[in-house]
Amino acid sequence: MSRPKVGFFDFTSCEGCQIELTNFGDAAFLELLNHIDIVEFREAMSEKTDHLTIACIEGSFSREQDRARLEDIRKRSDIVISYGACASTGGINALKNHQDDYKKCVYGKDCNMPHLASQEARPISAAIKVDYQVHGCPMDKYEFLDIVSHLLHGKEPVVPTYPVCVECKRNETVCRYDDGDHCLGQVARAGCGAICPSHGIPCEACRGFVHDANEESLVQTLIEKAGFSKKRAQSKSRMFTANLRSDAQ
Amino acid sequence: MKNYYLSENDFSDFVTRMISTKELIAPIAKGPRFVFSKIKSPSEIRLDYDVTILPPKKEFFPPRQNLVKFSSKGYEGCIDPKEKILFGVHPYDVKGIDITDTVFENNKKDMNYLANRRAATIVASNIQKVSSRAFWDTVGADIKAKGHDAFLTKISDGYHFQTLTTKGDALISCGKFTAATEKQSSEAKKVNESVNGTCPEKLKHSSKDIAKKVRDSFSKKEMWDKMAQRCFSCGTCNIVCPTCYCFDVQDKWNVDQTSGVRTRYWDSCLTEEFSKISLGAGHSENFRESRGSRYRHRIMRKAAYLNETLGGPACIGCGRCSSGCTANIADPVEAINTIMEVK
Repeated sequence: MSRPKVGFFDFTSCEGCQIELTNFGDAAFLELLNHIDIVEFREAMSEKTDHLTIACIEGSFSREQDRARLEDIRKRSDIVISYGACASTGGINALKNHQDDYKKCVYGKDCNMPHLASQEARPISAAIKVDYQVHGCPMDKYEFLDIVSHLLHGKEPVVPTYPVCVECKRNETVCRYDDGDHCLGQVARAGCGAICPSHGIPCEACRGFVHDANEESLVQTLIEKAGFSKKRAQSKSRMFTANLRSDAQ
Repeated sequence: MKNYYLSENDFSDFVTRMISTKELIAPIAKGPRFVFSKIKSPSEIRLDYDVTILPPKKEFFPPRQNLVKFSSKGYEGCIDPKEKILFGVHPYDVKGIDITDTVFENNKKDMNYLANRRAATIVASNIQKVSSRAFWDTVGADIKAKGHDAFLTKISDGYHFQTLTTKGDALISCGKFTAATEKQSSEAKKVNESVNGTCPEKLKHSSKDIAKKVRDSFSKKEMWDKMAQRCFSCGTCNIVCPTCYCFDVQDKWNVDQTSGVRTRYWDSCLTEEFSKISLGAGHSENFRESRGSRYRHRIMRKAAYLNETLGGPACIGCGRCSSGCTANIADPVEAINTIMEVK
């Protein structure tokens, strides 16, 4: 691939993945600038362009009026990458999808102000075709770099499709269940290096479910091995997987 | 074969001397579990461990192993063995290493493994504490542990130390060893014999009978699907297994986009995409798509498929898979005893 023109776009998100990307002083991003031209990046410049080689999109699709903007990006771009949990699965924003009083809970008496109107939070792929996804909350900048590197070399990126347990065991981390804790690593997509369990924190599946995640078995394990109530066991995985669970709204 | 004795008081000096000559890898505590790790001080060593999270094969075949480094100037292999002493290996894990020795020696020699293996001195030790899911005394019971260089046994007031190779003999200069008395040697023998029959889980049939029945059960789809119903396809049973040796190879470019590294990673046949293959032209096929078929494959590999090559099952009864499986379905004893009873 000749030197690509790259744009960064953001939708419903905390923009934390942009922070992760640009973490000051980190070689992962600054050295990448030797190999790409950034032609659009709202946080850093005001220029626009007609053609993008790669569009990187952060945030979830949660307002119908964003569809036109997304379609415009798609039309101008050869490759679309959604990066971060919000863009790739709807992320934590999708927690509102099964509730109808979230606006009142968050905004109180101002909840009916017109600019607060939104719909269910969906991944970017619900509005436009997405070619590659970088998972995680926040996304892993080295995984982003790896995917872009593969594209620069004309190769198909390889991202893990197996669960976090694989990486956790490769790290020889003590299983959270052996420490009297719980974990979602059995059903969560790997690629993060199982960093949370290695620091004694349960996996929350921020990268979403693996394909064909065994949700029933997870509920049973949370009850039997972690001592959860049935209700808690059933809702536990929702934080990052609201759009992926079998009860997705 | 020579038998020596080392007093309890001299053990610490022995370890310190070994550390000063080579890298010493031994079991240490990690939270509520144990791991083989590089030792800095004798007091870290826990010979009273039950079982480690990962088997000691990781010292020769690490979970992530660089194979080739490349740049615009060319490429070079990453084989760079370090002389190590692998200390305090339980006999079942010695059998595990013997199995990975065979599979990496067979056909095309895997020098990324063998170079590390040949640079190692292995000191086995007696099992002071039996783990809660162990069944090493009933799986391949007629197979002797071999391939280690010395065997350390805790006896009253000290240690009995049997050297089996020149590498084992070389360790004698690290400690104040004396020739073992006949009484000390017979005590060591008794200590090692007394753990047989103490495993909490038991296979009820011979390896030969198990291999035949497991093979004959191949087409009992309902049985396999039922056994795998709770499987997460999380791969834990593979990754903690001493005899699993499958790996995936991936290339990564460095940020300069001209240099990079080719790395192999422990892989797992229980994960969904392990058996996904390319059919070309953007098409693919997964030849073990269901949980049941993947679960069956693992039991076949451990209890039947490799028996002729290895002279016994590809399972050493450590129980790591059984205790690591959060759905509690990986236990080979439970699986095999069930298979043996199904008509």
